[in-house]
Amino acid sequence: MIDSLYLAWQYIRFNRIKTIILVTSITLIAVLPLSLEILLSESERQLLARAESTPLLVGAKGSALDLAMNSLYFDDEVPELMTMAAANRIYDTELALPIPLYVRFQTRGHPIVGTTFDYFDFRGLTIEKGQSLTLLGDCVLGAKIAVELGLEPGESLVSSPENLFDLAGVYPLKMRVVGVLAPSHSADDLAAFVDLKTAWVIQGLGHGHQDVTRTRDRSVILKREGGNVAANAKLFHYTEIDAENLDSFHFHGDTSIYPVTAVIAVPHDDKSGTLLRGRYLNSEDLEQIIQPAEVIDGLLQNIFRIRTVLDAVIAIVGLATILTMILVFTLSLRLRQREIQTIFKLGCRKATIARMLSAEIVIILLASSLLCAVAIGVVDGYAEELVRSLLVG
Amino acid sequence: MNFVRLMILGVLLSVLSTSVFAADRLTIYTVNYPLAYFAERIGGEQVKVVFPAPVDIDPAYWMPDQKTIASYQKADLILLNGANYAKWVGKVSLPCGKMIDTSRKFKDRYIVTKDVSTHSHGAEGAHAHESLAFTTWLDYSLAAEQARAVADALGRKRPALMKEFSRNFESLKKDLIVLDSEIRRIVSTAPGIPLLASHPVYDYLARRYDLNLKSLHWEPDEVPGHGQLAELRKLLETHPAIMMIWEGEPLQESQDELSSMGIKGLVFSPCANAPDEGDFLTVMKDNLKGLQNAYVNQTSQ
Repeated sequence: MIDSLYLAWQYIRFNRIKTIILVTSITLIAVLPLSLEILLSESERQLLARAESTPLLVGAKGSALDLAMNSLYFDDEVPELMTMAAANRIYDTELALPIPLYVRFQTRGHPIVGTTFDYFDFRGLTIEKGQSLTLLGDCVLGAKIAVELGLEPGESLVSSPENLFDLAGVYPLKMRVVGVLAPSHSADDLAAFVDLKTAWVIQGLGHGHQDVTRTRDRSVILKREGGNVAANAKLFHYTEIDAENLDSFHFHGDTSIYPVTAVIAVPHDDKSGTLLRGRYLNSEDLEQIIQPAEVIDGLLQNIFRIRTVLDAVIAIVGLATILTMILVFTLSLRLRQREIQTIFKLGCRKATIARMLSAEIVIILLASSLLCAVAIGVVDGYAEELVRSLLVG
Repeated sequence: MNFVRLMILGVLLSVLSTSVFAADRLTIYTVNYPLAYFAERIGGEQVKVVFPAPVDIDPAYWMPDQKTIASYQKADLILLNGANYAKWVGKVSLPCGKMIDTSRKFKDRYIVTKDVSTHSHGAEGAHAHESLAFTTWLDYSLAAEQARAVADALGRKRPALMKEFSRNFESLKKDLIVLDSEIRRIVSTAPGIPLLASHPVYDYLARRYDLNLKSLHWEPDEVPGHGQLAELRKLLETHPAIMMIWEGEPLQESQDELSSMGIKGLVFSPCANAPDEGDFLTVMKDNLKGLQNAYVNQTSQ
């Protein structure tokens, strides 16, 4: 057997080019589907991980996918708005902790996420530089957005107007960057976080201005009527919240009717989660409760249907390669007919010749397997990082 | 020898248990003193209650510094009074999961103050700057409900200690009910007599105990100006009060001005901040004593 292997090895060494081509073809045809499988599984895992770590989402009735994508990945597509009363409703049930989200506004192409302090604990986000949100107008940046915009704590960031043509609209708010989050390798890295109330100020629902009831500048007063003082457009509105004008910022009316895009509900236990879901079964309800994992899983099932097509293509290419290999070996045998005759005349049995040729095939397959294992190891090792960079950017 | 070993072991165990116990105590931050008192009474040794407002300031209008806000953020529980009390809460970021609005369950019984000012600008029309009366704890029945909210919150945080918290709450509730009955008894001796309040902080007290009360905007540490005195004289034409309730001891000049109009002063401290002496209960008992004397004088005249 050793003799056969020795002779096969010598033959392979002599026909290097042919061997390299064969080994490369076999390796590629094995590595491609396996790598693809690893990368797709990793993508699925990473996309689902965020959804699975978000137990329940409450939003206005409408597209569950828009709701999940906006709340989990801060997608541009804003779902139907609902009011803070939805969060209060969850709070009143005492079944879950409500974490409201208002993901509607942008700053320099990145989402502004209005939420409460609880969001950071819920997602396990920690401050790497500076401090956490403290006052109205504070802003904490995700790790990547801070690098992309070149911002550090102490600097400022201005919200983008929703509509460039709305000249009479709300002034953009200049927010103080007070902290930068440690990388979380998720959508949180690309967002600017503000307190929910700051998001309402961006929308113009809360604002700060001169005290019209005390101002001595008569030119800003349109009329005084009973208990109402009407101011004209000259009334100066603050576009930045600082320690001096913080007191002048106020919200009008009941904040429970203020808008949010979604509420993350974190049930105290499984039973509470089930009971909470039961509270949203009424078809007349204006809100829906979803399990983000189910929605994202459904989406992935649709997206990854392409995997079946890819598998079929790879199977056909694989079959073609195997047939080519058989052809190569058959042609090779024909070309080596005289060589085989010589070996036979030298006294070798047919079985020995067959063993020698089999040894060549075994060596080629072994080499391909080895290369394939190394390549798969590399892909597997870098899959998480590769997919993360593709998904998070 | 064995005795010495046992002693050492005992000391070690007590030190260990004390440190474990201390580490396990709930840290509770409050926005006013009454809630701090309720939390201390209900939580006892199981809680560390912090009310960080300076003693010389009205907590309703206080604004904590960033360091204090950070301490609030780290607390296990933050007890809020509700009814828009402590407006600073609406201007900072606090963890909602730790915040307990102790008056949430009776928000339908909030009192909207009458002196509403509005302003308008832009296309949004008039904005009402109406405000809610927030001294809810001066209605002792509401104070008991707030105390129950504190007990429930503590119980949720430490279910194993629920019985202890319930027992302590019942004791506190009993004290509050005694205050409630006492003030009812005092007021029933001269129902409907016209009263004045130096500041509009007694709305809940007035509603619960049927006080015929009109409020002014006088400060105990400021001498009333001509405008304020004129306003009072005008009010007295329709509301002939002979008693004015003050939040704190008024200046002698203020007392003299009132005496010249036949009005006596009476201190009824809302006790929003920690008292120099005693606690919430002793301050309220003192308030009732003062009220009792004033009513006795009134009925004897």
